[in-house]
Amino acid sequence: MTTPISEKPVPPPATTLPPKVSGIRTVLRYTGIPPSWLDKRPKLPSRNWLIFLSVTSSVVGMYIYDRRECKRIRQSYIEKVQDLSEERLDTLAWPRRVTVYGGKWPGDEDYDQSMKYFRKYVKPILVAAAVDYDMIAGKKHGDIANRVANDIRLRRRLDLGIDEDPPATQILPTYKAIPERRKLELEGGIVIIGRPTFKEFMAGLKRGWTEGLEKIDQDEVLAKQLEDDTVFDEPEEFDLDQGSSQASTGSKFPSGKPAFSPIQLQRSLPLRPPPGSNSIPEHLNAPPAVIPPLPPMLLVSFTNLIGLKQIPLMIWDFFNQRLKVQSGSDAGYRLVMKATRPIEVPSVTEEPVFGDTATSSEESSLGDLEFDKEAEGYYKNSLKSIPQDIEKAREKYYEALPAKIAIARALSRGTREPTKEEYKNPPPTEVELRAERMKKEKRWRSDLQGWETIKPEAKVAWDERFRDAMRIFVDPPHDGTQN
Amino acid sequence: MSFLGRGGSPNTGGVSMEKIEMAITELDTVTDFFNRMVQSCHAKCISSRYADADLNKGESVCIDRCVSKFNEVQKKVGEKLQARGQA
Repeated sequence: MTTPISEKPVPPPATTLPPKVSGIRTVLRYTGIPPSWLDKRPKLPSRNWLIFLSVTSSVVGMYIYDRRECKRIRQSYIEKVQDLSEERLDTLAWPRRVTVYGGKWPGDEDYDQSMKYFRKYVKPILVAAAVDYDMIAGKKHGDIANRVANDIRLRRRLDLGIDEDPPATQILPTYKAIPERRKLELEGGIVIIGRPTFKEFMAGLKRGWTEGLEKIDQDEVLAKQLEDDTVFDEPEEFDLDQGSSQASTGSKFPSGKPAFSPIQLQRSLPLRPPPGSNSIPEHLNAPPAVIPPLPPMLLVSFTNLIGLKQIPLMIWDFFNQRLKVQSGSDAGYRLVMKATRPIEVPSVTEEPVFGDTATSSEESSLGDLEFDKEAEGYYKNSLKSIPQDIEKAREKYYEALPAKIAIARALSRGTREPTKEEYKNPPPTEVELRAERMKKEKRWRSDLQGWETIKPEAKVAWDERFRDAMRIFVDPPHDGTQN
Repeated sequence: MSFLGRGGSPNTGGVSMEKIEMAITELDTVTDFFNRMVQSCHAKCISSRYADADLNKGESVCIDRCVSKFNEVQKKVGEKLQARGQA
């Protein structure tokens, strides 16, 4: 091979400089920092750390993003309307006032959820625009229907002149006469949160405009019904007088039938004809053919999630509250801007003669009455059994009742001495039993009626007279783009 | 405003000292209530930047609510006091 000497690679003369150090290293070389630190390169954390950090940061990020968006959306709507609150108002003038109805969501013991939705998502806009509101929550199903019906009855009486404002109110400086008040009401509005509330409201509306003007005391009616019932009858077949709580000695009369019939007849007679003191002439009592216009309605869609199966939805909702803020603020904006349109409900076609519950053609669109129908898909399945549950509770109660009545009567008549336990905890007397029965019946009936109004199969009550009277708030025309 | 122990004055003739006392106390109470209410609601509802002499809608609504709440609270507290006094 080649000569080793001349081909031996010769190390280059030691003229190369020592490796050039970067700026930071020179500066830090003589500080106490260990040199290995200066050589470190960025490195990804371990796989486990990566997993943990990505999960945590994404969750926290979603939360923070959502809440910031909520704030931003809310603020943008508030800014749009807050100039309205700077307008002048005369000291004796009334600000614009809307009525908010929030009913109980079926299956939820907390009846306030719809009101909470209103307070959290719609109210800020109303407050910013200086629109005042009356919040009416329904504690049980059917409460709102009853209240609306009663309000309408009182309003009808006032309009027809049967009732009058008390003179004490009339001398107040802020008193406004009825026509003016009605005008101010029309300026206001009605806010309805959720489909159950909508159903209750329409049912109450229809009842209010269809029933008579007399005040019917539901308790008395129920008492009469229960009185004619035979539950508290003795085997010897005489009816004890019931109904008024003054009959505290009622159970002490062991006398036979004849002594009672005149008393019972006397008591029942005044109840049969309508109370003579304020009988209303027929033509006023009849339901009017034309309903005065109602203040425009704002329909706010609301879904309450309850139950274990809906927990994933609740979690999703927690991270997406901006959607609720958006829809709630939009609703509030619509209310403030006052753009309305007449209600749109297609005219009802005749029920076919062989009408079957299975006809699907009946499902044709009902226009505005189908507001928020999807929310009914979220009802719990156990709600379907409410009528049966009530029936079962009733049966159980009525099975246990005769025994209690027997004890009460035996004790009160002195046919039997009270045992030691009965001495300590006296069992309910007959009067108490009757009162308890009345209370339970009242509760059952109102629950049942409320459920019948609200259940998904129940249709929204509608009357042709409402067509010209109702209006709905819509988006104001020039506002095509939001946010 | 519901005041405790204030019945309509019976028609007994003469001006008794107690009735005058009662009337004076009541007047004092009412005036004090009114003053406090005005003070409190003004502090809460009306900002100190006076842009306009008239009340605007926001302030008007705020004042309505403030007065209503004040009244409610006064009624409730009065009832509680009365219940306590009787018990």
